Amino acid sequence: MAAGGAGRWFLLPGLAFLFTIDLIPLVYSAWVSFYNWWLIRPRDVRFVGLDNYVRLGVDPEFNRAVVVTTLFTAGAVALEFLAGLGLALLFAQPFRFLRPIRVLLLLPLFVVPVVGATMWRVIFHPEVGVLNHYLTTFGLGHPPWLSDPTWALVSITLVDAWRTIPFMFLVIYAGLEVLPAELFEAAAVDGASAWQSFRHITVPLLTYIMLLAVLIRGMDAFREFDIIFVLTGGGPGTATQTIQILNYRAFGLGHMGQANAIGIVTLVLVAVMCFVLMRAILRPRGAAQA
Amino acid sequence: MKPTPLRATLTGVALLPVLAWTLFPIYWITTASFKTELALYAKPPQWLFTPIVDNYTRVLTNIPFVQYLKNSLVIALGTTIGSLVLGTLAGYGFARFRFRGSEAVRFLVLVTRMAPRMVLVVPYYLMMQRLGLLDTYTGLLVAYVSFALPFSIWLLIGFFVDVPLDVEEAAMIDGCSRLGVLVRIVIPIAAPGLVVAAIFAFLVSWNEFLFALILSGVEAKTLPVVIAGLNTDAGPLYGEMSAAAVMVMLPNIVMTLVLQRYLVKGLTLGAVKG
Amino acid sequence: MRTKTFFLVLALVLSSTASPVWAQQGKSITLSMLAGYKEDVLRASLPEFEKKTGIKVVVDASPFGDLYKKQLLSLSTGGRYDVLFMDEPWIAPLSEFLLPLNERMKSLDLADFVPTTVASGAFQGTQYAVPVDPNVQLLVYRKDLFEQKGLKPPATWDELVAAAKAFHDPSKQQYGIAITASSDIQTALYMLLAIWSYGGELVDNGRGSLNSAAGKKGGEVFLELLKFTPPNVKSYNFADVNKAIQLGQAAMAIQWASGARPMEDKTRSSVAGKLGYTLVPKAVRQTPMRGVWTIAVAKNSANQDAAWQFATWLSGKEFGQAAVKFPSATSAIHSPRFSVLKDAGTKATLPYADTLLASLQITKERPRLREYADIQENLRVTAGKLTAGELTLEAALKEIDAGTNRILGK
Repeated sequence: MAAGGAGRWFLLPGLAFLFTIDLIPLVYSAWVSFYNWWLIRPRDVRFVGLDNYVRLGVDPEFNRAVVVTTLFTAGAVALEFLAGLGLALLFAQPFRFLRPIRVLLLLPLFVVPVVGATMWRVIFHPEVGVLNHYLTTFGLGHPPWLSDPTWALVSITLVDAWRTIPFMFLVIYAGLEVLPAELFEAAAVDGASAWQSFRHITVPLLTYIMLLAVLIRGMDAFREFDIIFVLTGGGPGTATQTIQILNYRAFGLGHMGQANAIGIVTLVLVAVMCFVLMRAILRPRGAAQA
Repeated sequence: MKPTPLRATLTGVALLPVLAWTLFPIYWITTASFKTELALYAKPPQWLFTPIVDNYTRVLTNIPFVQYLKNSLVIALGTTIGSLVLGTLAGYGFARFRFRGSEAVRFLVLVTRMAPRMVLVVPYYLMMQRLGLLDTYTGLLVAYVSFALPFSIWLLIGFFVDVPLDVEEAAMIDGCSRLGVLVRIVIPIAAPGLVVAAIFAFLVSWNEFLFALILSGVEAKTLPVVIAGLNTDAGPLYGEMSAAAVMVMLPNIVMTLVLQRYLVKGLTLGAVKG
Repeated sequence: MRTKTFFLVLALVLSSTASPVWAQQGKSITLSMLAGYKEDVLRASLPEFEKKTGIKVVVDASPFGDLYKKQLLSLSTGGRYDVLFMDEPWIAPLSEFLLPLNERMKSLDLADFVPTTVASGAFQGTQYAVPVDPNVQLLVYRKDLFEQKGLKPPATWDELVAAAKAFHDPSKQQYGIAITASSDIQTALYMLLAIWSYGGELVDNGRGSLNSAAGKKGGEVFLELLKFTPPNVKSYNFADVNKAIQLGQAAMAIQWASGARPMEDKTRSSVAGKLGYTLVPKAVRQTPMRGVWTIAVAKNSANQDAAWQFATWLSGKEFGQAAVKFPSATSAIHSPRFSVLKDAGTKATLPYADTLLASLQITKERPRLREYADIQENLRVTAGKLTAGELTLEAALKEIDAGTNRILGK
């Protein structure tokens, strides 16, 4: 492994671009979070120190939103990861008939999020939706998909999974495709079972890719907005009111200080979550990969 | 592992519910685009029906849809190329070179992707306003490349570190420069990773709503904003929305079909080593 | 030479960053518009205006849910809009960025405007906007079902509850009335409508005042009504209320006039032609809620005269008539003008035109306060908690008032 030197020239363009474009707004945003700034009162901008943060800390609505967001993120990412991994393993098998189906599995990614969510609302519609029509026909009842607090949380998780299982699938699948086939052949010669070669070859070699997929999905799910906003708008009551819904409200009403404080708290929560997860998964293996 | 007919059948059976779950909403959107709103809600649900094209005609004539389609395409392709070039370079840099604090810098790259976009949009807006880049392709392009880049970098690191060093060293002894090695040896081996990075960079730009809404207006407006406009103050126009969504889906499908042939084990290590 | 080139480049850069030169000549104005069918109507009529006046109108259309945000951000940062299509609750908060129009209004034929609609553009005695498209809550009912049962459309809230009960038959998927009980804004507005009717006020003397006898009575009637709705109104929004009527599931609905046109369209509604329209019910008073789309001119516009000319045209009789006739199944732009609403052609196209006009004449406006958007948002969230069973009625009313007072700094 080479040190320093030439690496600089590979890293410089991308990092310079990224940090200029993203860190400046981020620092600005952190700075604004210490102000009381309401867009409709441009002449009344006051420095308030940590006020915006303190207010979030004691706001029961915000604390509830943190819980709801965490539940949603954990549920959605777990479901998506398991489904995505399963599909990727299935498609990594040398079956000819699977090739053409691959692109079909990716289709949900291509639907504009707001349309996908709107159509799911049509499908979920408890009174006139197609889903409950067939469930009733087969005697399976008609669940109140969006109008019961628990079901509503389940529904938004399902729709999020519909949309992003293809992401998990594609990332893990591409990772599987570059694993050296020789390793598996050697293991098969040694009489390893499918589970054993999964456990001892695939998992270690794919840890990094799988972790990355989970991290990326985790941070996106934590900040998910469109699907939840279209499907439930945070309701019924406050059952699906996530941090982003609150952020949208503050932003929409022009409370810049508050909105930015919510944003910075979100960023810190996500960063800590990712950091802990990375430590937990990479360290015990002696930082095997990268 | 030879595939047996039994395993093939089992795989097929296991896939059916997944496919149904994945494809039904898409089928429903596609058919909704050819139905009246009343037919969309018909009971029993209509699987076969006489299609109408009114929804498409309305979308294409009422608003300058083609102009917005062009905007979306240009910006999405630009985002893809920009983030692939920068991401490949940086990904290779991280994969092959260690320096003091490189772990921290790498994590910082990921941190830029963690900030809620709702928070970044106002500073972005003010920045672009200062630079006179509101409602331009450049303004959105810059934003989207910065969205797509962290994932591209991190993903490509994962693919580049798996490329065996001895292959690279051999090429360098043969007189290849570092950049030459990257282009001729590393990229072909890591092709599936680049394909995935490309697809997601394209999608980041193609589906993004908030920044497109705030940063664009007339000249650079992209399709997600137009489609969100079909969710009106008198409720969603299901037919028109679906028609627009179907048209928006097609370029993605074409792109994926083109790219997916690189998503196979054709260029594996064995081939290079041999 | 170098310096010269530098300044040349600088000048080029600056001129390309500022709005284009030709936009400054009063010939081109930028309009912030609502996307959807209203945009379609506008785009269809615009060429005529451009030909007549030589003014080019650049349309920046934004989705309904995001228009306020975009206007707020743009106006407060010295953005580029000359003229803005605005919902009336936005006028108070954005008033300081808008051009006072009192003098210019004198040139309009004010006698032709329904007076309440003109009030929608005013704030603290200054006129900031001209009405374009008035909206108001109506009571929609199934004429055929009411005839079968020999019932008259309800005129009071008690009669409304009784009628809803009479038509409610869940086993046949027939429901008394369609309203919402979700965390959607409509839920809050339904509750507020009922409370208003019993004499309650959201804000009185600068304080939240829902927690009163009238507030409780109105709240109770609203909750009572929820017993005769489709079972899942806890997830309903504006479009679902429409759907319940259009698919023939609900015998009645309280809905904004903007929802009425799709109910009368055969490709969207199975009950087109079977609907009657009347005023929302009364208790101690009758208070259909008003929501008027208006057109305003930005204070910092460099083309105020051209912008005003456009505003005049958009609120004018000609555009009103063209808009009513525009073949949109989605909805309509309803003119604020007597001459359009009373026109025989209008009545033929919009079966609810008479009720619309009658409602507009007695309509009640929401509190006109700078902080209103915040107050309404607090109302929305708390009404959602009430209908979801997270709060009792009394606790909810107290919480709404507390929120209102906090927002008003009391």
